[in-house]
Amino acid sequence: MGSQSDFPIEQQSDAKEKSVAFQNEDTAHFVTFYFAEHFFGLPISEVVEINRSLEITPVPLAQPYVAGIVNLRGQIITAVNLARRIELAMNTESVDEFEYHNVILGRHNEPVSLLAERIGDVVEIPVSQIEPPPSLIEGMKVEYIKHVCKLPGQLLIILDGDSLQRPDTADTGEPDTSTSPAVN
Amino acid sequence: MGMEDDIQKDFLAESRENMELLDQQFVELESEPDNAELIKSIFRTIHTIKGTSGFFGFNTLEGIAHFAEDILSKLRDGIVAVNEKITTVLLQAVDHINAILASLEQTGKEPDELEHLDFIVELRDFAEKLETSRDTTPDQKGGSPEGTKTNETDASAQAGPEDENPTQCPAKSRKDETSGESEKTDLPGEKVSPVSGQEPKAEKPERSSSPTTYKASDMKQGFGRTPQLTESHIRVDVNLLDRLMNLAGELVLSRNRMVQIAGQLNNQELLQANQRMSLVVTEMQEQIMQTRMQPVGNVFNKFPRIVRDLARQAKKQVQLRIEGAETELDRSIIEIIKDPITHMVRNSIDHGIEKPDTRTANGKPPGGTLTMRAYHEGGQVIIEIEDDGAGIDAQIIRRKAVDKGVLGEVQAEALSDRDALLLIFQAGFSTAEQVTNISGRGVGMDVVKSNIEKLGGAVDIQSRIGRGTTVRIKIPLTLAIIPALIVNTAGQRYAIPQVNLVELFRLSDESVERNIQIVGGSEYYRLRGQILPLIRLRRVLGLKEKEPRNGLNIVVLNNGDKNFGLVVDGINDSEEIVVKPLGSHLKHIDCYAGTTLMGDGRVALILDVVGMTAALNLQSDKPMERSLSQEESIVTAEERQFILLFSVGPEEYFAIPLALVSRLDKITPDDLEMVSGQEVIQYRGRSIPVIRLENYLPISPLPEQDEYHLIVFHLNDKDIACLVSGIDDSLDMAVEVEEQMFRQEGIVGSAIINDHTTLFLDIYQIIELHDPSFFSGSCHETRVGRILLAEDSTFYRNLLSSYMVAAGYDVVVAEDGRQGWEKFKQEEIDLVITDIEMPHMDGLELTRKIRSHEVNSDVPVIAVTSLTGDSHRQRGLEAGINDYQMKLDRERVLSSVHELMDT
Repeated sequence: MGSQSDFPIEQQSDAKEKSVAFQNEDTAHFVTFYFAEHFFGLPISEVVEINRSLEITPVPLAQPYVAGIVNLRGQIITAVNLARRIELAMNTESVDEFEYHNVILGRHNEPVSLLAERIGDVVEIPVSQIEPPPSLIEGMKVEYIKHVCKLPGQLLIILDGDSLQRPDTADTGEPDTSTSPAVN
Repeated sequence: MGMEDDIQKDFLAESRENMELLDQQFVELESEPDNAELIKSIFRTIHTIKGTSGFFGFNTLEGIAHFAEDILSKLRDGIVAVNEKITTVLLQAVDHINAILASLEQTGKEPDELEHLDFIVELRDFAEKLETSRDTTPDQKGGSPEGTKTNETDASAQAGPEDENPTQCPAKSRKDETSGESEKTDLPGEKVSPVSGQEPKAEKPERSSSPTTYKASDMKQGFGRTPQLTESHIRVDVNLLDRLMNLAGELVLSRNRMVQIAGQLNNQELLQANQRMSLVVTEMQEQIMQTRMQPVGNVFNKFPRIVRDLARQAKKQVQLRIEGAETELDRSIIEIIKDPITHMVRNSIDHGIEKPDTRTANGKPPGGTLTMRAYHEGGQVIIEIEDDGAGIDAQIIRRKAVDKGVLGEVQAEALSDRDALLLIFQAGFSTAEQVTNISGRGVGMDVVKSNIEKLGGAVDIQSRIGRGTTVRIKIPLTLAIIPALIVNTAGQRYAIPQVNLVELFRLSDESVERNIQIVGGSEYYRLRGQILPLIRLRRVLGLKEKEPRNGLNIVVLNNGDKNFGLVVDGINDSEEIVVKPLGSHLKHIDCYAGTTLMGDGRVALILDVVGMTAALNLQSDKPMERSLSQEESIVTAEERQFILLFSVGPEEYFAIPLALVSRLDKITPDDLEMVSGQEVIQYRGRSIPVIRLENYLPISPLPEQDEYHLIVFHLNDKDIACLVSGIDDSLDMAVEVEEQMFRQEGIVGSAIINDHTTLFLDIYQIIELHDPSFFSGSCHETRVGRILLAEDSTFYRNLLSSYMVAAGYDVVVAEDGRQGWEKFKQEEIDLVITDIEMPHMDGLELTRKIRSHEVNSDVPVIAVTSLTGDSHRQRGLEAGINDYQMKLDRERVLSSVHELMDT
């Protein structure tokens, strides 16, 4: 079913502990990926796993940013086209024709798959270098951006996982029992 | 810490369960006050709560449980007999306990509200008074000696173990507010010895004379549950079960892949091993499914209490019978049907069952009976709510419908009693003379219906005046796995729940052309004499229309109301599918009911048949359909048209081609509004301008009527309506129109139809007279170009030619293909519009000739016919026709002309 993880990110506690330890030293870990020439990151704690392209079933009538639905080991989740979601201005017109990678978000709520063009490394960044986003970034919607970080040679745009996941529609409905994490 | 949390959670879950049981038991107790087993069981439950809450230090909870236990012990020991007052107080105690448990569950703390503390005081006072009151109120009840006897013997036999209170004495562990009070009372109940022969008491006659219908097995199960549960049951998080289901599904897929590979390798051993695994996996999946099934009794058991409270509130006597509580249903369905059922029970008590004196006057027993019944039938679960009340008077419903403007008077009268009853499921209906706080304002029955239909179920209602009403709900066994038909469209698979499926059929190209009629922009097919509206799935989903076709695959579906045909690209197979919910990003789309995984691991969407038709606004245009079904003559591909006949006033008869009409409607004069000097009506939240024909034609004005007919046109993306007196008929006729007699703007011509001179309207002209700007923005820019129009029917020739002239073109007309060809050779033509079927030379021949013309072979050709069909289209395209339009669709024809002229 082609669902082998490229980078299985452990869900167990040791991953969490590590990041906590780093945070004490004032650094944070980010999963990074590319879309066109832009460099994006998400806090490692928000990313469940990364998958090479899962087969996407298109959903007619859905919002333009919804690329479709994918099967993640028996769980059906919505695939969100990052470029369309943040209304990324692209040089290439064929936003829908890439071989995508699925960045699965949603440790805490309904998981979604964020489609990225290329996966980067996990980077460790001193917290002091993380800045709030400027009020305007050309070519994308700032509401989905939580922070930015100036790295040598490029700007890391740290996305806001929650707002990426939040549906655009007015009626959000209750969270699905089957997809929300178990309350133990 | 974690340990204690776990224990506390167990305590809460168990208490919850027990409390549910309590509700039911208390109500039972009222009708069987002598049932010692029942009292003991209740006592045990309360006792356990008291003990455990003391252990956790939940003082308020412990206090309430303590005094409730106090009262119960007196009942158990036969010091007092059960009466309504006691039951009420004890039920109140249960309510308070439930409230506290809920708060504990949410916040982990007891609520601070004073009402609970107040209640403790009340409860204590009540418990204290009980002992003294028994002497002062002996007249309240009469008694059965046998019952008392068993009561006593049982009580004394049981007294030993039960009386030994657990080591934590509530009086000591309770501190603060309750401590003072509790010391005073200090478990008086347990110290008073049973007084024998004291209570020749029983219930009100009608209660004890009508035994409840809980089955003996239910009782046993109920009482035995608490000890058994701990031994053979564990509590499992529902999410865990759901995840397990997911994984089992995935396992099935992996197995399928393995079986495939084994088959390819043709390895015998592997095949055998696989077969074994297949069996296990299948069984495992079934078992996991089983974990989701619950007896419907889980819902039903809440009703004795609800019914009791409602009946008291409404001052009625109601006895509840429950049948088939053990019928199993999927957990998710049980949750969803709870509210609809509650609503219907409320309705039965509030509207159905009469007051005792009314019942007696009608020769019925004063107490009404409400029956809740569940059983399996044909793979579905049927739930019935039956009362022996007054029944529903269809006549009253009709009157209500007219009063509320849901229906016109004529329509209402035409409804059968059965259909009239179904009106109560429409929004805004309440038949109770007085709106009470029980049933509210009739909001709800419509919600009940839509909720059940969402489950793939159906609601039906039967009623006999004076005899009672039965509401019947049909629901599928489970939502998790449903049989479905898999279809494909635009390269994707879609699942359609089998409950909606009526039949499948396929039409050949030829049959498509002959039998599919297009009326008002919708397609209809005549299936065994019935008119079946067709919906194209591609259109519903906003996908591109398929170009080359090879027959049509039609899935006949029922949306709970009517049948329609869904046109799909292909039909795959019937399969059992596992339903998974839509993510929050997709929930709002009405067309989908969920998602599912197919055998190859890919995802498919499940279509929501009801939502799909709602999205499409599939309405029952009765006159439109009647027109189609009444039409007697065989449809030929030639110049026949569906004509709608209507009248304005008693003597003025008119006709328009039905294809132009988007909808027919009826309105009352009150619906008409004047907005800035123009008459409009409100329709689906929009104002539609209304045209009175007498303003533009020399005819007598529309007489005053209680009800007008409205012919609605949808043109240039706007709605506009004509107000007329009556819709008289519709027929399929060959249009032979006399153009000379009535030369008048807005009139195309006249004909004698049904012995009346009938005027054919040019609705486009009339609309333009009414609102010169109506068509602006679409096709009114002045154009240049010369069009050859070859058409043998004078009527159409004039009509089409007038459209073209109005749009600014020069028109050269020809009466058939041969004349057309001559004119084409003589004149300089920019575009050709041709009929297909013409004498001497048909449109195809003409086109072929044009295509072989040495100079002007590339002139665009538009073919027009009165009926569209696909083989025509195909042949036309082969002959070199550029576009294909319906004669009467002025807008399409014009836009096609503009388009081809521009290129």
